[in-house]
Amino acid sequence: MSAENLRPRPAPARWDLRRVPGIGGLFLGSLAAALIMFWVGSDGYRQTLVTSAVTYALIALGMYVPYLMAGSLSMAYSAYAGIGGYAVGLVSTRTGLPLAVAWLVGPIVAALVAVLLGLVTRRLSGFFLAAVTLLFGMAFSAFLIDAEPVSGGSGGLGNLRPLNLFGWTPSHYQVVLGSVVVVCVIAFLLDRLRLSPWGVIVRTMRDAPRAVEAAGVRVPVLNLVALALGAAIAAVGGALFTYSAGSITPDTFTLNIVFLAIFMPLIGGAGTPWGAVAGAVLAVELTLNFPAFQASGTLLLALGVLVIMLLAPRGVLGYADRLRVRTWALLRKEPHGG
Amino acid sequence: MAEEILLVGRGLTKRYGGVTALADVDIELRAGEVLGLVGPNGAGKTTLVDLISGAQTATAGELTLRGARLTGPASRRARAGLARTFQYPQLALELNVRENLLLGRAARRHATLWQMIAGVFVGMVRPRMAADDEFVRAIADELGLGGLEREAGDLTLGEQRLVEVGRALGQDPLVLLLDEPFAGSDARGVAGIAEVIHTVRRRGHAVILVDHNVDLVARLVDRIMLLNQGRVVFDGDPGACLSSPQMQRVYFGSGADDDEAGDESAGAEVQGVRS
Repeated sequence: MSAENLRPRPAPARWDLRRVPGIGGLFLGSLAAALIMFWVGSDGYRQTLVTSAVTYALIALGMYVPYLMAGSLSMAYSAYAGIGGYAVGLVSTRTGLPLAVAWLVGPIVAALVAVLLGLVTRRLSGFFLAAVTLLFGMAFSAFLIDAEPVSGGSGGLGNLRPLNLFGWTPSHYQVVLGSVVVVCVIAFLLDRLRLSPWGVIVRTMRDAPRAVEAAGVRVPVLNLVALALGAAIAAVGGALFTYSAGSITPDTFTLNIVFLAIFMPLIGGAGTPWGAVAGAVLAVELTLNFPAFQASGTLLLALGVLVIMLLAPRGVLGYADRLRVRTWALLRKEPHGG
Repeated sequence: MAEEILLVGRGLTKRYGGVTALADVDIELRAGEVLGLVGPNGAGKTTLVDLISGAQTATAGELTLRGARLTGPASRRARAGLARTFQYPQLALELNVRENLLLGRAARRHATLWQMIAGVFVGMVRPRMAADDEFVRAIADELGLGGLEREAGDLTLGEQRLVEVGRALGQDPLVLLLDEPFAGSDARGVAGIAEVIHTVRRRGHAVILVDHNVDLVARLVDRIMLLNQGRVVFDGDPGACLSSPQMQRVYFGSGADDDEAGDESAGAEVQGVRS
């Protein structure tokens, strides 16, 4: 999808829509989202599926920035999503504040926690970083169970208030639709960020951190900013899910989600954030909605990842893009051939 | 024109355990000057570049740039006006040439924490600016480099070096440190890099050029420093250096202190000197 953005192009003229970076991805992504929402309709189960896909997608999008752009695999994303979720839960049950406050506080707190964890683990990379952040994720869910006065213990927080925007209470369908829009907007913005000067520096940090340092950017500091951004996005995912589900427990966001989120960009295509979204949709389809194999969904997903890695190393979107380029080439050749 | 002294290094020393890679080296660089740094493998050329750029910390010695002390991590020194290339090119191989060339300019806009945070939002709102594209195109033209949308991983080693030199030029440095930029370059690549050196000199800034090819270096620089076993054994006019007894001793190994590390490359370079 995003390959349009990689093609050479002259300096953008003003308000030529085709030259807006990331617009191709947004167009196709929105189209797919619209089709999915049409398919969902008023079916409650399908709405739940979409909510799950939205949450997976946002966690995978959150990991996209530090993992696929900056190259550091932090695995604490179950905790960040949990922070977003508990922000909604706590604001809803413990305070009289509007829920909108939770949407702000959750991502901010998650970002701060990510910065602290990043500071502590700043000397680690690769496997060791993954292991330590994984432990943090486990410790966080243990903390939620123990801190019963605050978190409600293993029972979690339930009976959450519905959203009330100046007297308007959206229906469940509207909430799901809103969540899908949030995913599309964040994927679009991240796609643009990837192409921007900031994205160029962060992506260079992955392969050539010495070059970034030699160019005048303090690599550990920029890494923290990338981690904070990723955590904030994952917290939005946690908040959306908790709001839709109406409750949250320590088991809502487990390490399982983090492992799935690592695979999602690989399935969908690591070249663009939309790959993470496509991967999330496929993961939900395979693990939760595959009629014949519902019990062995995760196994099916694992097999699916292997098959996709063998056939399309650049993911589903990368494969589709290659097909598109080839088809174009064929269409262009035809007049000459005939 | 009274040339201002840009960079001064005094007593630069680097020891790894018991091994002394660089011993008490003094270096001075004037505005508009191109300094060649030559010597056999293991002579301490790259170590000197690393100590100046901040990639390694010196065991002893101090540096000043335009009179101000030059300390801290490489990023701070880069902001003070240093830019460098690496012996092994450090490019983002999955990024295209245009993006790699943009790094230097992009880095200048993301120097502080607040700029890094603001950069997230600026990047989302305005990912691509016409001024950046023009800037990159001007550098590519100067280097004679085409195909800006090619991935850096698809380039030849010579082209990768050219991109790296262009990226460093994009930082508009006061002192440009080039660590073996010619290895793997063809004639066009050499011409492109020579053009960059010329540009920096014309701006009244300075270049330190490290390379094995003494003959090529001698043609491009105003002054040569010959390093051997971590010490400066010659500092002066390039022509005088080629015919100096120190040069003979270092590369022919006729002296008592012949180097063990650099024999192989020294043979190649001696031919360069003779031709």
